[in-house]
Amino acid sequence: MWDFLTSQFGFSIALAAFIMLGVILPSVAYCIYFERKISAWIQDRKGPNRVGPLGLLQPVADGAKFFLKEDFIPGHVDKPLFLAAPAIIFIVSLVGFAAIPWGGQWQIGDKLLEVQVARPDIGLLYIIGVASMAVYGVVVGGWASNNKFAFFGAIRATAQMISYEIPMGLCILVVVLTMGTLRLETITSLQAGGEYWIGFIPQWNVFLHPLAFVVLFITALAEANRMPFDLAEAEQELVGGYHVEYSALKFGMFFLAEYAHMITGSAFIAVLFLGGWHFPYLPWTQPEATGFFAVMCKMAVIGGKIVAMLFVMMWIRWTIPRFRFDQLMRLAWLRLIPMMLAMFVLAVLLLYFRLHRSALAPAGNLLILGATLWIAARSTAPITGRQLNMPEIRNEPTQTGAMPAEAV
Amino acid sequence: MSTATTYALYLVFALGGAGVYFMLPRTGRSRVLSGAVLASLAVFALLAVLAFGVIDPAHGSGYFYLFAVIALLGAGRVITHPKPTYSALYFVLVAVAVAALLVLQGAEFLAVALVIIYAGAILITYAFVIMLAQQSGSPIYDRQSREPFIAVFAGFVLMAAIAGRAGELPLAGETVDAALTAPAALAAQTESPANQQDDSAQEGADESNSLRMGVIIMVNYVVVVQIAGVLLLIAMIGAIALSRKKVPSDGPRAADVPLGEIGRKVKPY
Repeated sequence: MWDFLTSQFGFSIALAAFIMLGVILPSVAYCIYFERKISAWIQDRKGPNRVGPLGLLQPVADGAKFFLKEDFIPGHVDKPLFLAAPAIIFIVSLVGFAAIPWGGQWQIGDKLLEVQVARPDIGLLYIIGVASMAVYGVVVGGWASNNKFAFFGAIRATAQMISYEIPMGLCILVVVLTMGTLRLETITSLQAGGEYWIGFIPQWNVFLHPLAFVVLFITALAEANRMPFDLAEAEQELVGGYHVEYSALKFGMFFLAEYAHMITGSAFIAVLFLGGWHFPYLPWTQPEATGFFAVMCKMAVIGGKIVAMLFVMMWIRWTIPRFRFDQLMRLAWLRLIPMMLAMFVLAVLLLYFRLHRSALAPAGNLLILGATLWIAARSTAPITGRQLNMPEIRNEPTQTGAMPAEAV
Repeated sequence: MSTATTYALYLVFALGGAGVYFMLPRTGRSRVLSGAVLASLAVFALLAVLAFGVIDPAHGSGYFYLFAVIALLGAGRVITHPKPTYSALYFVLVAVAVAALLVLQGAEFLAVALVIIYAGAILITYAFVIMLAQQSGSPIYDRQSREPFIAVFAGFVLMAAIAGRAGELPLAGETVDAALTAPAALAAQTESPANQQDDSAQEGADESNSLRMGVIIMVNYVVVVQIAGVLLLIAMIGAIALSRKKVPSDGPRAADVPLGEIGRKVKPY
């Protein structure tokens, strides 16, 4: 038994079970608690504080409620797909964790184990592939509900996810060009090793390509259907969007999958840009440290980075209003994609001249950001049909004096 | 592969063709059940022929048969399901199962590319269009096949032709094409920082799969890749040119209408 557990295969299975049951599922449940607490702080309320001390048992009560509510299947739905959709979205949001490097290497006896469930050669592409499957849960759920609101939610989600996958892919390509590998564990150890820049800055990709980091964060929000990109479930327009017909635990699956998606996205960004389990000057989080305490430290560091990004996501949700659909599409196709194409050319040029790890990279980032903002400030928004007629309708505020007598 | 195996394959394809013919959606009395029985018989007969005649037992794993069954049954449902939405989703299932088969063969890059490009981009667009176009039930030409016999006959003759050539392919475990091994040697010479980094982390594979793939694409087949890219670009421009219609605006434009009329006699947008 011990031999099996300390072989890489057995260790991977044990790690998968531990991460899935011991870390992800509880943290997904507690994400909801923190979401409500953070929204309360932002809105100057107390938030959940009745169930248990500080309301800490609130997720347990919520979970019990999901189980005890009536599991109702409306008569007009397409039943097989209606049942499959929550399963698809939940499974897809969980399998992405397999390729995340959680804690470098662990020395047990004379064996050196990788604290990572699977180490495919194309770990980065694996996560993109899994993320691109996530849209099926939304589309299938929206279509099978046989409800116009749900269907509009699904349509919006599809268009949005397909659009934002392109800048996401370009951000990731910038990292791939800089690092020269598709292996997530190698990307982490390349960022963890080496000298500090100017004496104290670790060699994390966020300091090389800050613009790519910010854009990847934005697209991660869009991929997880989070505010300000949550048009798919806009309550004011679509009641609840693609999950409006779902009740009880099936709705809970959609709800939890959104948080699982956020955690996967955050872990992915932490590995790509924030050095994964590496923390500067902490000897236990260097690549050479392989003891038990070092592995625990590394997992705590990557967990802390994930929690920090989750906090920013929630902060954004309760601060920024939702986009209109044309604004959402314009942001992706007319701003982010051209900007990231320029970033891609920059990364290729830097790599060609072997300057991809020099200070020219962040300087070029700032230059591209400045150029984008300069062009964006000078370009006007395309005039939609509704806007064209705005000055002429009766209660246009800028022309109050020009109102014809017959209209009053 | 012996001649007997080839004839067994022909027989299996005839059986599968009959099954698919019965399962194809049509008007009149449904023979889906008998077709399903025939088609599943054909799938298992095919796997039996593969297991005893084609694949070296030392190399075929249980996972291969599992994903092969999923892919074959899914592919059958793609063409036999009466609802187009289900057909598109079964197509996704086929893409994922084939990606799993590619992973078993060690072609991880191809597998993930298949999932990202087919399942993640192309098929989601199919599903999108089908769902958007047919909210009020699918039309008659989508619910029944027009020429079931000719379609099935042509399809399964094609399959048989491929199977007849399959005898000349290298079996699992034999040495692969020389074209694949030459760039591997080249890739081994290429000094990349990533390649040096991960020899401590690697267990079995001696070189990076994506590196080999990149060398094959960018060294052996670079002209083909470029031509394919240009062709796709031309096709995209052609599609845009064909689908863009100039819509003549009839009736008074809103801007020409006097104030106060808009919203009463003229639509605001």
